[in-house]
Amino acid sequence: MTSILEARGIQKSYGAVRVLENVDFDLQDGEAHVVIGPNGAGKTTLFRCLSGETRVNGGQIKFAGQDVTALTGAQRVKLGIGRTFQVARIFPDMSAFENLIIAIETRERNDKGLRFTFGYIAPRQQVVDEAERLVVELGLEGAVDDVAGTLSHGDKKRLELAMSLALSPRLLMLDEPTAGMSPSDRAEAVRLIAQVRKGYGLSLLLTEHDMEVVFGLATRLTVLHHGEIIASGEPAEVRSDSRVREVYLGQH
Amino acid sequence: MIDYRARFRSNLLIASCGLAVFAVVPLVANSGLMFLAGLVAINVVFGLSWNLLFSGAGLLSFGHAMFFGGGAYAMAVVSLRLPELPFLVGLAVGAGCGALIALIFGFIALRRASGVYFAVLTLAFSELVHILITKTTFLGRNDGLVGVPRPEIDLGLFRLDLTSATAYYYFIIVAMAAAAFALWCFQNSPAGRLIQAIKQDSVRTAFLGTSVFAWQLTAFVLSGAIAAFCGAVMVPFTQIASPEIAYWTVSTQPILFTLLGGAGNFWGPAVGAILFGAIDYGTRAMHGLSEITVGTLLLVVVLVIPGGLLGFVRHRRKKTRGTAKASTAEDTGARP
Amino acid sequence: MYDIGMTVFNGLAWAMATFLVAAGLTLIFGILHILNFAHGGFFMIGAYVSYSIMMAFGGSLPLWLYLVGAMASGIVVGLLGWAVDKLVFRRLRDVEDAYSLIATYALLLVCGGAVQLTWGLNYMGVMPPAALNTVVFVGDMFMPTFTIFIILSGIVAYIGLEFFISKTRTGRLIRVVAADPWMAQLLGLNVKKIYLITVIFSFAMAGAAGGLLMPNQSLSPELGGIFLLQAFGVVILGGMGSIRGAFYAALLLGLIESFGTYFFPQYPGIFFLLALAVILLLKPEGIMGKGQTA
Repeated sequence: MTSILEARGIQKSYGAVRVLENVDFDLQDGEAHVVIGPNGAGKTTLFRCLSGETRVNGGQIKFAGQDVTALTGAQRVKLGIGRTFQVARIFPDMSAFENLIIAIETRERNDKGLRFTFGYIAPRQQVVDEAERLVVELGLEGAVDDVAGTLSHGDKKRLELAMSLALSPRLLMLDEPTAGMSPSDRAEAVRLIAQVRKGYGLSLLLTEHDMEVVFGLATRLTVLHHGEIIASGEPAEVRSDSRVREVYLGQH
Repeated sequence: MIDYRARFRSNLLIASCGLAVFAVVPLVANSGLMFLAGLVAINVVFGLSWNLLFSGAGLLSFGHAMFFGGGAYAMAVVSLRLPELPFLVGLAVGAGCGALIALIFGFIALRRASGVYFAVLTLAFSELVHILITKTTFLGRNDGLVGVPRPEIDLGLFRLDLTSATAYYYFIIVAMAAAAFALWCFQNSPAGRLIQAIKQDSVRTAFLGTSVFAWQLTAFVLSGAIAAFCGAVMVPFTQIASPEIAYWTVSTQPILFTLLGGAGNFWGPAVGAILFGAIDYGTRAMHGLSEITVGTLLLVVVLVIPGGLLGFVRHRRKKTRGTAKASTAEDTGARP
Repeated sequence: MYDIGMTVFNGLAWAMATFLVAAGLTLIFGILHILNFAHGGFFMIGAYVSYSIMMAFGGSLPLWLYLVGAMASGIVVGLLGWAVDKLVFRRLRDVEDAYSLIATYALLLVCGGAVQLTWGLNYMGVMPPAALNTVVFVGDMFMPTFTIFIILSGIVAYIGLEFFISKTRTGRLIRVVAADPWMAQLLGLNVKKIYLITVIFSFAMAGAAGGLLMPNQSLSPELGGIFLLQAFGVVILGGMGSIRGAFYAALLLGLIESFGTYFFPQYPGIFFLLALAVILLLKPEGIMGKGQTA
């Protein structure tokens, strides 16, 4: 297997607070890599650095062999890194369907240039068809025509996932995909994520709190503590790591 | 699912009714009222161009006078100093001038500023343009450029004589209809949807792989070009380009139109511009009354009915029908 | 030497006249987070009220009447502030920034209309009071006493405000509310009342500034807009509601404007705008950084 995402010596501080200290991080093509750690360990900051939401203070990030350290989030998306947010980010005053249309049209524009940007009034049939396919695939049938801001928590997350998939990413980064869900919704979310991972041949990078989700999805686990990686490997290995048990699992 | 065809048809119907009303004015009203109607028609599109930014892209501009004035002065300069250039070229130069001003100042203002800061920066830039006009001899300083002629357009097969006020009035109606159509098409195109999406969540659009800055600048330039086009069309009608049309009070005109009519509806600024014209005409005898009326109305709108007049009507209609229709499915294509 | 001295003097005059208008503006901006377009309008009303008081006393302007007139304007406009807070500002708390900016612009329109209805469209002018209508020679520079008086007024206003905000009980309460209104409410402070005090105080300053700056201005319904843009620049550049920031921003912009006009006398009024644009580009949060109210 080859590394699709490679981070070397990542450093990030906010003011005087050093959040990430020399973090090395690898993500192999095709794996579902979950980053865990106690609150304040730097998971979200690592996520922000890798996705380009914030710039690193030091270190290098490579995606598919290309140095992306200096690229913005939008530029990284164009290379194939999609992401979702802890609190789903969608366009709240549009219908769920329009949200999807915009995502698909954006991908087309990124691929083909401005050809279909001006002048066409209604979305083209091809775009509508693709949006309908995504609706079915993610089980959003009941919500298509609703204003996105009024959707249930779970449906918002689903919609955001669908929008990210519309960009046909190679790597999908999911920040706390089951945060705030009930146990039954969680199980359903795990099933859905596993399904799209298989269907789209995605590599996944997740942060997650819930242990059932972690062990249900992860093919590889990395533990972050005080801005440093203290363990990384197969879930079973990490689970039995004494240091991890001490700082993380020990708290449960 | 949104029925895009029905949306197009209903808007075409609305626009046609509006056009018909404007077309009848010279037949039933005196020349003074026709003059006013011509200015209102220009204001309609001026308001629409501003609302493209405000409701379409979420940018509050307090500097649209610089585009309007820029377009007007460009037109006046072309027709007075370069009379050999065809009239339609003058219009294009006017619109291009607005686009250029928007490109330069938008590039500066959009890089860092947002919200109230953006508003004040555009206000400052617009005042800069105004002062430069009043100090430039080539542009007639405080006196402006007077005696701009109305054109004859050579269309190859025949000549279109627009030298009379009535003929030029009809030209204004056609030109403004075309500009409104262009704006509507833009707002309902993929680009328009995208800009609306940026307004609703710019971080999400960035993580769809879109440059937020580039698209906001696109909206700013388009809005500037259309506003300048309005200014350019107005100059041969009034036959003067004076510094007042680049003054900051002009920047606030489209804001008034839009808020009075309803920012959430594509045609809100049009309704507002017509209402404003009527108030202005009705209170013309008494200085200050028009400001008080408009100011109070605007306050009431912002504090009590933020949807403006059209929002209010829609709200009432919904209530009486008892339907809670999703606001996205509005048949007009614009959102609050 | 002569030129530099006079240019600095003119810069100071611009700066302090602008600061007198901007002080109230920045107070409301810092505490209510409303950029009050109408401030220019109430400043103008202050000037007209002073003018009327003076006219009622026969048109000549002794120094004491000038000062009493300015204070009376402050009181009248402060009362208007009370009404505006009850009727308008109180309702703007939950309104988007863009809409509250537009609402205050609507208020400015009403002010302009009211002034036109009450005092008419004609330009009116007043000479400074006789005691201040002299000239002081410093070396070979001649400085109008009235301008010196305005500069001193600005400095006194600044020191007074700093004292009020940092040393008095009300000032401290205002700072608490500005920093975190939610927490202030939790601690049992009457936030509404403190907002009201702020608004009245800010409006009173606008009115008094109108009275003080009225001489040598041509009074017209457009007066509100002229000072407003300068004051906006100062408030934005000074950072959110920072009085000290506004003071330094006024000095900076005043000197830039005055030196710019010295070198390019054909373009008065554009240099502070250019400077404002450039500085905001480099430092969008203003020269004093964010979130200071003092």
